[in-house]
Amino acid sequence: MSNVMIELRDTSKRYGKLLANDRLNLSILRGELMTLLGPSGCGKTTALRCITGQVTPDEGQVLIDDIDVTNLPTHKRELGMVFQNFALFPHMTVYQNVEFPLMIRNEPQAESRERVMETLRLIRMESYEKHYPRQLSGGQQQRVGLARALVYRPKVLLLDEPLSNLDAKLREEMRFEIKDLVRRLGITAVYVTHDQAEALAMSDRVAVMNAGRIEQIGTPDEIYECPHSRFVADFIGLSNFLRGKVVSSSGEQATVEIDGRLLIVPAAGAAQVGQDWLVFVRPNDIELLPVTGEPIENELDGTVSKLTYLGDRIDYRVALGSALELRVQTDGKVRFAAGEQVRVRLPPASCRPVTE
Amino acid sequence: MSDAPSRRQNLITLLLLSPGLAGFFGLFFYPMLVTLERSLHPEGQTQGWTLENYAVLFRDSDFSRVILLTFFLAISSTLLSIALSVPLALLLRRKPAGHRLLRMTVLVPITVPGLIGAFGLLLFWGSRGWFNLSMMPLLGRTEPIQVNYTLVGLVIFYVWHYFSYTATTTLSTLEGLDPAIEEAATVAGATPSQVLRHVVIPLIMPGILSGSVLSFMAAFGAFSIPLVTGGSLRPLAVSIYKQIEVFTPARWSAASAMAAVMATLQVIFLAIYMRVLRRPTA
Repeated sequence: MSNVMIELRDTSKRYGKLLANDRLNLSILRGELMTLLGPSGCGKTTALRCITGQVTPDEGQVLIDDIDVTNLPTHKRELGMVFQNFALFPHMTVYQNVEFPLMIRNEPQAESRERVMETLRLIRMESYEKHYPRQLSGGQQQRVGLARALVYRPKVLLLDEPLSNLDAKLREEMRFEIKDLVRRLGITAVYVTHDQAEALAMSDRVAVMNAGRIEQIGTPDEIYECPHSRFVADFIGLSNFLRGKVVSSSGEQATVEIDGRLLIVPAAGAAQVGQDWLVFVRPNDIELLPVTGEPIENELDGTVSKLTYLGDRIDYRVALGSALELRVQTDGKVRFAAGEQVRVRLPPASCRPVTE
Repeated sequence: MSDAPSRRQNLITLLLLSPGLAGFFGLFFYPMLVTLERSLHPEGQTQGWTLENYAVLFRDSDFSRVILLTFFLAISSTLLSIALSVPLALLLRRKPAGHRLLRMTVLVPITVPGLIGAFGLLLFWGSRGWFNLSMMPLLGRTEPIQVNYTLVGLVIFYVWHYFSYTATTTLSTLEGLDPAIEEAATVAGATPSQVLRHVVIPLIMPGILSGSVLSFMAAFGAFSIPLVTGGSLRPLAVSIYKQIEVFTPARWSAASAMAAVMATLQVIFLAIYMRVLRRPTA
């Protein structure tokens, strides 16, 4: 038994001219919560459907629990799935919905009853067993959906945007509830979402997808702190991108000239003088300083062109010359007014080169 | 203060309703009343009250046979329509090549006038029709298969003419079904036939029922099809007509009594239909 539960090996899927999945390679470990994250149309749903068997990849293989299931029909794959619109059986009670997977498997009545009630208790819905789905709120319906998916202890739990039909507050609560449940049961879970905050909050690892390909796989903080590409940096959190040329390089550091200004950027690999670089920095990593004071490294002069009060922070647009504008977010302890001259400091540790 | 405008609005509503109400009373309610009155006069008279016309009907074994035949035709054609509609709807939902044409074809029987359709059926299923021309060599028969004017033939013709109702309502309910619900059942481990049995059929039942009650009622009151293709098989509507056409002088009172019985039965079916429609669908 390997420690990999689900494996996509070079799977591709084409719909007419559209290449929905382009040679995906993905290994999901046992007990891991892996999120497929990306904008709509990035291929995450197709990838999920390759795992469920609702889509057969044109090329490549799908393995679940070390078995090649590429051509195995969905109902034989022993999966549990939670849907965006809940997809409960409207003609069945909560109890019957949760019992369904056991009923299909001809489980003995007594054991089945015990298992259903145990699962309902797990999601705190045991007092609703006789209700019909239409009598429940969205959050309750989704919890029943979760119970139905988990009741027969499937190998894998698949969650297809399970929270996007819930309101913001409930969504946040459910995040933790799902994460906690998955941890406690130790089940392998694949979570599909377009919501980066959800992905960061819930996942053990995130696979960021774009245009049918996986751009980057990593833990939430790797994805957030060290995005490899402009797409990943831009999709997860807020970003500034500065285009420049490497003018000097000294092992750990490179100096990049951006629009006549020099910026020190850590260079993990060998930076070559003359290279075009795209430097990325998060708005909340940038410091705003008054014009008076000791000069420090990586500081640029600018003018506040716009500010927005966001409660816990202030969002500034700072113009650097005529062509460049930076987005800066501060905690608002020191405030600047629109039109005010400021010094902008980009701490070298927060700057990193990314690919286009 | 607020009375005046609302009273005026009521008046306007009444005025707007009046053509409809007049039509309803003149074209529906009045003829019904006249029929009922007719059925309570002795045969051939316009005065004097009697229940004899009804008593005759219920003593007459011919009339019970007519009622039985009418029910048999309506029920069997409705059941066959369901058996035909469900697979057809399941097929059409997948939008196979030519599904648009098929969808239109399903609606043809209700758009073709019954009389025209009946003559068309007689030609198709007749001894020199396409059915026999193709089946006789195939089955190696020298004698044509008799379909017209038989009970089986009548059931086939009924199904042809009335199955559109069931097919349309079944299809529209099926297409209104959230595909994720079936996916949920499949992922949970249900085979395609289990999905059908435990999820799809129960969920489209209201659609099947509402169409079926409609087609049942239409079949119960069928006239042109059995008149032209039934031969000696005469369901209710045809029997009523024969009271007037065959007998001289026409037996208006007997016909009216039969019509009253038929109308009563239809009202009962209608009440059932309304209940079916009102049943909460999820």
